[in-house]
Amino acid sequence: MTNETDQHTASASASANFPDGSPTFPDGSADPIAAAVVAAGTTQRSESPALTLVTGAAGWVGRALVERLLATRQDGRIRILVRNAGDIDAFGWRRPGLEVVVGDVTRIGDVERFFAGLSGGGESATGASGSHVPSTDVIHAAGVIHPESVAGFYAVNTEGTKNIVATARRSGVRRLVHVSSNSPFGTNPTHDDVFRNDEPYRPYFNYGISKMQGELAVLEAVRADGLDAVIVRPPWFYGPFQPARQTVFFTMIKKGRFPVLASGEQRRSMVYIDNLVDGIIAAELTPGVAGKGYWIADAKPYSINEIVATVASALRDEGYDASGKSLRAPGIVGKVAEFADKLLQGSGRYNQQIHVLGEMDKTIACDISAARAELGYDPKIDLHEGMRRSIQWCKQNGIEL
Amino acid sequence: MSTHMNGPVPYETDVVVVGSGAGGATTAALLAEAGFSVVVLEEGRWIPQGALRPFSLEQMTQQYRGGGVTVALGRPSIAYAEGRCAGGGTEINSGLYIRPPTELLHRWRRDFHISDLDDDEIAEICAEVESSLSVGFVPGRPTAASERLRDGAIALGWQQNEAPRWMTYPPSGDATSGRRQSMTETYLPRGIRAGAQLVTGCVVDRLEIQHGRVSAVSYRLNDGPVASGSKSEPQHTGATRTGRIRCGAVFVCAGAIHSPALLQRSGIGGPIGRTLAFHPTVKLAARFPQVVNVDDDVPVHQVKEFSPNISFGGSASNSGLVALALSDHWQVFKDAVTDWQHVAVYYAAITSQGKGRVRSIPGFHDPLVTYHLTGRDRHVLRSGLGRLGLTMLQAGATEVYPSFRGAPVVRNRADLGAMQQSFSAMKASLMTVHLCSTVPLGEDRDRCAADSFGRIHSTANVYVNDASLLPTAPGVNPQGSVMAFAIRNARRFIATAHRRTARTSA
Repeated sequence: MTNETDQHTASASASANFPDGSPTFPDGSADPIAAAVVAAGTTQRSESPALTLVTGAAGWVGRALVERLLATRQDGRIRILVRNAGDIDAFGWRRPGLEVVVGDVTRIGDVERFFAGLSGGGESATGASGSHVPSTDVIHAAGVIHPESVAGFYAVNTEGTKNIVATARRSGVRRLVHVSSNSPFGTNPTHDDVFRNDEPYRPYFNYGISKMQGELAVLEAVRADGLDAVIVRPPWFYGPFQPARQTVFFTMIKKGRFPVLASGEQRRSMVYIDNLVDGIIAAELTPGVAGKGYWIADAKPYSINEIVATVASALRDEGYDASGKSLRAPGIVGKVAEFADKLLQGSGRYNQQIHVLGEMDKTIACDISAARAELGYDPKIDLHEGMRRSIQWCKQNGIEL
Repeated sequence: MSTHMNGPVPYETDVVVVGSGAGGATTAALLAEAGFSVVVLEEGRWIPQGALRPFSLEQMTQQYRGGGVTVALGRPSIAYAEGRCAGGGTEINSGLYIRPPTELLHRWRRDFHISDLDDDEIAEICAEVESSLSVGFVPGRPTAASERLRDGAIALGWQQNEAPRWMTYPPSGDATSGRRQSMTETYLPRGIRAGAQLVTGCVVDRLEIQHGRVSAVSYRLNDGPVASGSKSEPQHTGATRTGRIRCGAVFVCAGAIHSPALLQRSGIGGPIGRTLAFHPTVKLAARFPQVVNVDDDVPVHQVKEFSPNISFGGSASNSGLVALALSDHWQVFKDAVTDWQHVAVYYAAITSQGKGRVRSIPGFHDPLVTYHLTGRDRHVLRSGLGRLGLTMLQAGATEVYPSFRGAPVVRNRADLGAMQQSFSAMKASLMTVHLCSTVPLGEDRDRCAADSFGRIHSTANVYVNDASLLPTAPGVNPQGSVMAFAIRNARRFIATAHRRTARTSA
């Protein structure tokens, strides 16, 4: 099937399913991709692939993504890579067509098993007419942000990505989406600066370097080997499936102990997890953007003061007694923490609290207009609604705030 | 050309103007045309446009203060350039012209309490200046180096534009055939035609001030031609090397370093020289497959995507300046110098939150200049250099050579990451040209030594009328702002002086 036909099919189904222009699924949930297509109007879409591969499926992004795929790709096969089979039982993911591969991106043998059965029919799988080779997309969401040691960054984020890229290329996939980060780009030079879509790398510590090297491996495969790959760059994300470190964030704000360094006018781009999933799928299904990278974030960056106030308000809306205060600390605290982080990482050790504190006086803000224009990405959930939903998720899952 | 011819230095005049750059030349022209007797004292010489090759070593020796080597001390120290010749900085700069942005005027008016600063009046003055200086765009294609910068920005989707210049071009001339419409071509001849006398080679030692009134200016004559314009002019013959001129008012227009220094030497107190501002600038050289070098002209395109925090533009790039740009890591960069026709130098200029000071020191003519960058400034410099480097790669540069000690050659994005990681402002060859804000104007007396029209608050008849008055570094090329304020203030002086005269005679 050609891209032209794909687009035709996509728009035909959009108009068939959503005659009133309000794209919803039978269960009432909005289909953000169809909505984005309607919003952007001209964004082309490929058809969903016959097979979708997801690495890091048990992680935060991976879980949200797989939940979405299970709901929206009823006819397609979904194959996930997880390190522990036990995780999957806990998630309750049982469906025909879901294939679970237990393995680790750092081991090439595991990665080859994950890609088993894909035999390099890539050229035809991209949609040349007359082919019967099913199309395959790969979403590489595996990554480590808070490892036990510095070496973990490179094993997973750099070498793991190289394994995925090399195997994807040999297997002839239709499209690889690589989930990267803001950290290859460091921090903005001023609080009013925003990262444009294309920026020079300035990796922030080992995490940033390892993620930069992952991106470079992807870009090199696009350039040299013709791999069809797209990079998405989410900043700090939030929402359901959040790990324990994010719960601490809520608890600190609730108790008025969140450390706001310096003026609090420093800004952060954040992305609600469902917005991020929208962006990843838009990047997967938009033809003609190989070799490009996109910021995927909420509509605008927030000031730290705004984040603290909004979370406190969302907590109150959900029935918590949130103080709304924050712990004011001079900017020097962040500088000391940054320095301590540097020393620790220099000796191969990594401390999550110190690392996060060291970043808190910085601005990390990005501009999503390229993703809007080229991918038809349109973030639906704002900070207040997103924070409410994640607080509700914590409640539903018995997590004490 | 003989309009700048002068006889002996007079003993008395209505107004002495110290300095003949963008501020002094316009002030002198307007005052002379309004009927005042005007004497302009200029430390440098009169060198006609075209007599020296632009951006050459010879020009640096003859038309720059200190041969082009002047430094604001700090960590790191920052080199700056000042013109020292008739016409001042307008004779040696790139001739780019930008009107003061309206939002900047609003900010200045609000933050420094500047009275009667009217947008329409400034716009009207700017239109007059643009006509007098033939401000316009280059005919035909811009230079190759300018096109590289433009195309790199376009590839990134970044805002860029061509800055207009004060140039005239011969019929069917190209981008490199322009003639700079500097002060020696425009406002200085105009003032001299109206009767102003220009004395070159004249250093002003101090203003004689009593009870808040200046009564005379004492000066010293340098060796060489005095009241001269060209080689055929008469040499100074008098035995007297020093002298004084009695006057009714003084306009100090000696630039943001020497105006405050002269006021300090003359015993004027207040917030003078405490808030030196400029645009710290970091550079790189970029090598292209094609010939890009035009050795006596500069690019006209500027990248304004990150304005006002960061602006990119092209620098003068003759072979000597290319070598200078490569000198920061000569062992690694030197091979590019033989290929200098394929190399052009570009800059990233930032708005800084740092502050500098100008302090006159007894016994020395040159004041002590210091400047301290903030942590934010260092970060912005690094970001500017990184983004400029990316622009160069997108423009097709095969190699980029950043101007800091030990910098790596940048050939791709990975190198750019390594470059930004190894950058530190301490290692960089920082420079600047847009010096200002040492005598900010306004009614906020804690910060402003001069009133809303340039008169020193503590005096009746001492005025400043140059870049020193701009309350902050404007974030754009400042010469348009300097001229607009100078003309506005000169008009006000003329209007109020006539009112005074009318009152006296009535």
